[in-house]
Amino acid sequence: MRLLVVEDDTTIRDFLTRALAESGFRVDACAQGSQAEKLALEGVHDALVVDLTLPDIDGLELIQRLRSQGVTSPVLILSARRSVDERVLGLEKGGDDYMTKPFAVAELQARLRALLRRSTPGQAETTRLRVADLEIDLIRREARRAGVEIQLTQQEFALLEYLCRNAGRVVTRAMVLDHVWKMRIDTSTNIVDVHIHRLRNKVDRESDRPLIRTIRGVGYLLRD
Amino acid sequence: MFRRVSTSFYRTAAWRLALRSTLVFAVGSAAIFWVMYIMVARTVRERGDSWLMGESETLRQVALTTPRDALYDRIVEEVAELATQELSWGSHGQHVSGNTVFFALTGDPTHPPLWVGPDESREFLDALQAAGIPPRSPVSLHVPGWNVPFRVVSVGMGPGRGRLYLGLLDSGAIALLRRLLVRFFLGWLLMVALGFLATLFGLRRMLKRVDAITGAAASIRTGDLSTRVPAGPQQDEVARLARTFNNMLDRISASVNQLRTLTDSVAHDLKSPITSVRGSLEIALSLEDRNQAAELVASAIEHLDRLSAVITTSLDVAEADGGALRLHREPANLSELVNRVAELYAPAFVDRQQRLAISASTAAPVSADVTLCNRMLSNLMENELRYAGPGARVSFDVSAENGIARITLEDDGPGFAPDLLPRVFQRFVKGGDSEGHGLGLAFVSAVAVVHGGRAMARNRTQGGAQIVVEIPLASDEAESYSSHNRLTSL
Repeated sequence: MRLLVVEDDTTIRDFLTRALAESGFRVDACAQGSQAEKLALEGVHDALVVDLTLPDIDGLELIQRLRSQGVTSPVLILSARRSVDERVLGLEKGGDDYMTKPFAVAELQARLRALLRRSTPGQAETTRLRVADLEIDLIRREARRAGVEIQLTQQEFALLEYLCRNAGRVVTRAMVLDHVWKMRIDTSTNIVDVHIHRLRNKVDRESDRPLIRTIRGVGYLLRD
Repeated sequence: MFRRVSTSFYRTAAWRLALRSTLVFAVGSAAIFWVMYIMVARTVRERGDSWLMGESETLRQVALTTPRDALYDRIVEEVAELATQELSWGSHGQHVSGNTVFFALTGDPTHPPLWVGPDESREFLDALQAAGIPPRSPVSLHVPGWNVPFRVVSVGMGPGRGRLYLGLLDSGAIALLRRLLVRFFLGWLLMVALGFLATLFGLRRMLKRVDAITGAAASIRTGDLSTRVPAGPQQDEVARLARTFNNMLDRISASVNQLRTLTDSVAHDLKSPITSVRGSLEIALSLEDRNQAAELVASAIEHLDRLSAVITTSLDVAEADGGALRLHREPANLSELVNRVAELYAPAFVDRQQRLAISASTAAPVSADVTLCNRMLSNLMENELRYAGPGARVSFDVSAENGIARITLEDDGPGFAPDLLPRVFQRFVKGGDSEGHGLGLAFVSAVAVVHGGRAMARNRTQGGAQIVVEIPLASDEAESYSSHNRLTSL
């Protein structure tokens, strides 16, 4: 998978390049909108990460130009502005997702993966998820650990499902709130920890192999 | 005290206005005095002239009726003398030198000219001859050797009998008029001077009050906002200006105080986490143990997340207060939002042994920014978790009536500190033992206000806090649709 990162801030561009390269992407990076336009028109990138404040042209305009010239790769918009309007506008102009700075690298990776999944259709929807001896049935909404059914509330089940779908990858509190509760609220709250704590009590208490881990400062990870 | 605003006296508005109004007043009153003087002068002249006419007629009759014998000259002279003495001698018997009168009867070929008057008759008769005075119409006649002209009337004595002249030195009238003029002038001068001084004084007094306001305004530049202008008991324009100015200063100083609190809080709220982050990272760098280092880095990230949340919320509240927060409205049911947020927070209440009672089954359709509303509700929940205390009973109640969706939040905790109560919705206002940033309730109020509603707080009489948030109900589909469109197209 090859990505194009368009970001004028050197520090951010460098850490994005590094973080995305570490998660297995080939990354091209540039600071100028005009340069980005040239690179993107080569058509070799699977997704674009575009910052909205560029020195030469506006990021939104860049996206619009690329779309009008037939570039169909998904675009993830980065911005320091926070208005809902801008998010809406960004998506209208051809962006596929929108993140405000500051963001967690884990979330950026997850969103990029989601975008790439969306742009490569044909994956069958699974009905069962399995991580180590944890098994969840998405249709009957049942979870079992080592064959023993775990009694979960709806919320707990949804949370466990989300962690399982992202097994092996870190999810942030914001991602959990966004996907499980469909809310974008203050991410400094520790309410997600409360839920994770309860879920862990049910999933991991009986086992000597804990699956749900807390990655301090970032989020949670479900892994064998 | 006020800084003296130093201006040259001659450049003050008081001086200019007083000068201008005095000038207009002076010209106007001078014109009136002049008209009065002209009228008086005409009356005085008319009186003199009518005496001359009457007397000359009498003398003519005498001259005509007196038989022309040896006594003729004597009789006419006598009568003329009597007539002239009537004026030449004042009422108290003294001689009035100014009122010189002459009488002449000339041009009778049968008779030598008759003369009563000053001794130099020759000059008079020559002057009369040269002037050619029309009959029965008084004129002024200059006689050589006399500074003041004579008013002279001439009457024909009939064919071949010559002319009769009667003259009166004008000096009396002229002196009278001159005296009048001098008095008028002095009176006018006094009036103008008094008027000027009164205007100047009044204006100075009034403008001094304006000057005080200028001084107070100037002192703002030096950062002193405690100055107030004495408004006095008056109700005039300047007093109103002073009061308005004082009100303005009150508001400015309130805003500045708020700004100071704000910058202090921002400095504190931003600098503390930055210090922690810096410290953590610095220690992490020097640690050999990777796990310990990771722990510190993680703590640094947590601080940064909190910092980021503080910045976002402060900006949102500031934008909302400044009316710049744009809403992405969509139709929503406030009860549903409360239920969902409550569901998210319920376990946290259980952990704190708090009992959370939600009564939100009423349909409360609103046209609202769901993200902002969720954050507002989350703030209310966090607030309860933090301050209601362990074991508290917390209730959320949603009602909809009279076009208003109302969330009533009550607890039986310690309530608000009384000194905090009036300010709980202000930014950076927080209790002494609070670990928050004083933004939670400010955000709640800001969200309510941008939705056209309000937030209120009070302490319940039976103990505990009550917070009420009101948001207008979406009256119907069409309206919520149009407002949605309007706001997203901004």
